[in-house]
Amino acid sequence: MKKPLIIGSSILLILLIPPIRVYMESIMIIHMLVQLPLLIIAGWFLGDYMISKIPKVFILSNDNGVPGIILFVAITMFWMLPRTLDEALTFPMYELFKFVSLPISGILLVDSWGKINDLGRIFIYLNYLSMFALMGWLYLDSPIQICNNYLVDQQKVLGWGFIFITAIMVLYVVQYVFTDQSELEET
Amino acid sequence: MSTVIGNNKPKSNNKLIGTSLVIGGVVIAAMMIFGILMLLAQGGVISVSDAMFYQFLTIHGTGMIGAAALAAAGVMWYFLSRYVNLSRKVFIWFLALVLIGVVMVVVGVFSFKFASAWTFLYPLPAISASAWGTIGALLYLIGMLILGTGFLLLYIDTGRAIIKTYGSLGKGLGWDVISGKKRLEDAPPKVVVASTMVTIVNTSALIAGATVLIMNIINVINPSFTFDPLLAKNLTYAFGHIFANAIIYMAVIVVYELLPKYANRKWAVTKLFLVAWTMSTVFTLLIYTHHMLMDFAMPKWMLIMGQALSYANGLPVLVVTAYGALQVVHKSGIKWDMASGLAFLSMFGWTVGVVPAIVDATIVVNHVMHNTKWVPGHFHMYMGLGAVVMLFSFMYYLAKIDSNVKESKLDKIAFWCYALAIFSVSAQFLVSGALSTPRRWAIHYPGWMTPAVFGAIAGVFLVIATSIFIIHFVRYMKNRGTLGSDMNEQETA
Ligand code: HEM
Ligand SMILES: [Cu+2]
Repeated sequence: MKKPLIIGSSILLILLIPPIRVYMESIMIIHMLVQLPLLIIAGWFLGDYMISKIPKVFILSNDNGVPGIILFVAITMFWMLPRTLDEALTFPMYELFKFVSLPISGILLVDSWGKINDLGRIFIYLNYLSMFALMGWLYLDSPIQICNNYLVDQQKVLGWGFIFITAIMVLYVVQYVFTDQSELEET
Repeated sequence: MSTVIGNNKPKSNNKLIGTSLVIGGVVIAAMMIFGILMLLAQGGVISVSDAMFYQFLTIHGTGMIGAAALAAAGVMWYFLSRYVNLSRKVFIWFLALVLIGVVMVVVGVFSFKFASAWTFLYPLPAISASAWGTIGALLYLIGMLILGTGFLLLYIDTGRAIIKTYGSLGKGLGWDVISGKKRLEDAPPKVVVASTMVTIVNTSALIAGATVLIMNIINVINPSFTFDPLLAKNLTYAFGHIFANAIIYMAVIVVYELLPKYANRKWAVTKLFLVAWTMSTVFTLLIYTHHMLMDFAMPKWMLIMGQALSYANGLPVLVVTAYGALQVVHKSGIKWDMASGLAFLSMFGWTVGVVPAIVDATIVVNHVMHNTKWVPGHFHMYMGLGAVVMLFSFMYYLAKIDSNVKESKLDKIAFWCYALAIFSVSAQFLVSGALSTPRRWAIHYPGWMTPAVFGAIAGVFLVIATSIFIIHFVRYMKNRGTLGSDMNEQETA
C-alpha cells in the first residue's frame, strides 16, 4: 500500500516548488487557508503510510490518542497566530519549521483521530469552530494592519474566509444532530 | 425506543450528584451573604467602598449563576442517566473544571479587585480606569473559560448519549411524535425532552461565550486589538441570557419526576408538551435580544423579535408544566412533605416570577424600567423562588429515598421562612424598581434606601432557612444508603 505515501509526498513536493510556494504565500488567504491545510493533509497521508509500516512506534508513543491530539492543537494554534505567518515570510528558519511542523501535525492527527472517543472528537471540533469564528472576527474588525507583509484588504478577505469555514462547520453540526444517526450505528 | 437503558444503578451515582448539590448549595448560601451586604450598603446601614461593592456584585452574580447551574446540572444528570448512557468520568471532569474555574474567579475578584459584574461586557474588562489590572481580568476571564469548558464537556456527553439512544436531538425533542411518524406512547420521556432542549441551547450559549471570552482575553493582553462592541454585546448576552435561563429548565426535571411518584399518578407526555418544549428551545436561543432594546444601532426587526418572543419564551413550557403539575396533584391525596412541598412552591415561584419579566420585555415599559431594580426583582423571584427551590426539592427527595434521615419540624419552619423571605427580597427589588431606583448602583439616595434595608433583613432569614436545607442534605450525605424508600426503584414517566 504505497498509495498514501505517493499522494502525501507529491502534495508536499508540489507545495515546495519555489514559484508555487512564493505565489501561495503572496496572498494571505491562500497562505493561511490553502497552503497550511494542504501541509496538514500531506502529513495525514504520510501518517497513514507510516502507521501501516511502523505501527509499534505509534502504539508506544500515542496509545490513547490524547498526547497526539494535544500536540496537533498546539501546532495548529501556533500557526493561527497572525504573527507567525508574518515571521515565516521574514525568517527562513520559521519557514522551514512551518514545512516540518505542519506535516507532523497531520501525522499526529490521522493517528489520534481514530483513537480518541466521540466526546474528544466533538470537543476538538467545537473548539475549532469557536476559534475560527474568533479569527474571522479578529481579522475583519482589526483597525490596524496586523502583518508587515499583508495589507489590511488581505486581512479582510482572510476574515471572511474564516467566517465562511465557521458557517460550514455550524451547518454540519446542525445537520448531524438533527438527522437520524441510529441507522448508521447499526450497520 | 423508549425502553429504559443506561446505567440503571442510580445509587452508585448518588455520591457524585450529591457533591455537585452540596457545592452548589453552600455557594448559594455564601453568595446570599454578599447580597445582604450589598443591600446594607445601598441602604446606608454599613459603609462599603464603591470598589468593594462592585466586587460583591461581580462575585454574587457569577457565583449564583454558576452554583445554581452546577447543582441543576447534577439534577439533570441524575435523572437523565436512567435513560441514556452518561459517562461518570465526564461528570467528574465537569466538577473538577468548574471548581478550578470558581477558584480563579474568586481570586481574580477578591485578590485582584476585578469587578466588571458577571456580564464582563466588552471593553470593560480591559478599560477599568485602573480599578483593576491585567492579572485580575485574566484570572476572571480564563476562570470563566475553564468553567465553561467543564459545562461544554458535560453537554457534549449528554448530546452524544441522547443521539446514541434516540437517534438525533430532533427525536430527543420528540419531533417524530409531533409529526405523527411515531406513536405518542413511544415518545421520549420528559427528562429526555428537557435535557435535549438544555443541551441544544447551552451548547450554543457556551460556544458564543467561549468566543467572546477569548476575544476579551486578547483585548486585555493587547488593547490594540479591538473588536466591534455591538457584536460583542450580542454574543455576551447570547451566552449570559441563555445560560442563566437554562438553569430552570434543568432543575424543573425534578418536578416532572417527583410529583407523579408522590401523587401516584401518571404524568404522560402529550403532543402539546413536546410542542411547548420545542418552542421554548427556539425562543430561548433568540430572545436574548431583549437585552439590546436600548441599542439603537441594532436592526429593528431583531428588537421586535426580541420583544415578541420574550412574551412567548417561557410561557409554553411554564404553562404545560404548571398545568400538568396541577392535574397530577389535584385530588390525588398526595402526601406533602419537604420535597413535594418545595416542588409545588417552585412552580408557584416560577409562574409569579415570569409576570414582571413579561412586563419589562415590553419596549415601552423597558424605556422606563430598563436598568432599574425592577429587573433583579423579576429574576430573584423566578430564580430564588423557582429554580433554586427546585434544587432544594431534589435535595430532600434524594435524602428521603436514599437514607433514613428524617425531616423535622425545623425543616418545615425553614420552608415557610424561605418562601416568605425570598418573596420579600424580590418584592423589595420590585418596589425599588417602581421608585425608579437604578440597578447596580453602589450608592442610593435616601429616598431609595428603605426597601434595601427591608430586603437585607429578609435576606438574613433566607440565609438561615437555606442553611437548614443544606444541613439536612449534608446529614444525608453522611448517612447515604442507610435505608432508601422504595420510591427509588419505582418507575414513572
Ligand atoms: C438573600 C438573598 C439575596 C439577596 C439579599 C440578593 C441581593 C442582591 C443584590 C443587592 C443585587 C444587586 C442589585 C443591584 O443591581 O443593585 C443582586 C444581584 C443579583 N443577584 Fe442576588 N440576592 C439574593 C439571592 C440571589 C439568588 C438566589 C440568585 C440566583 C440564583 C441571585 C442572583 C443574582 C444575580 C444574577 C444578580 C445580578 C448581578 C449583576 O447585576 O451583575 N441572587 N442580588
Ligand atoms: Cu434575558
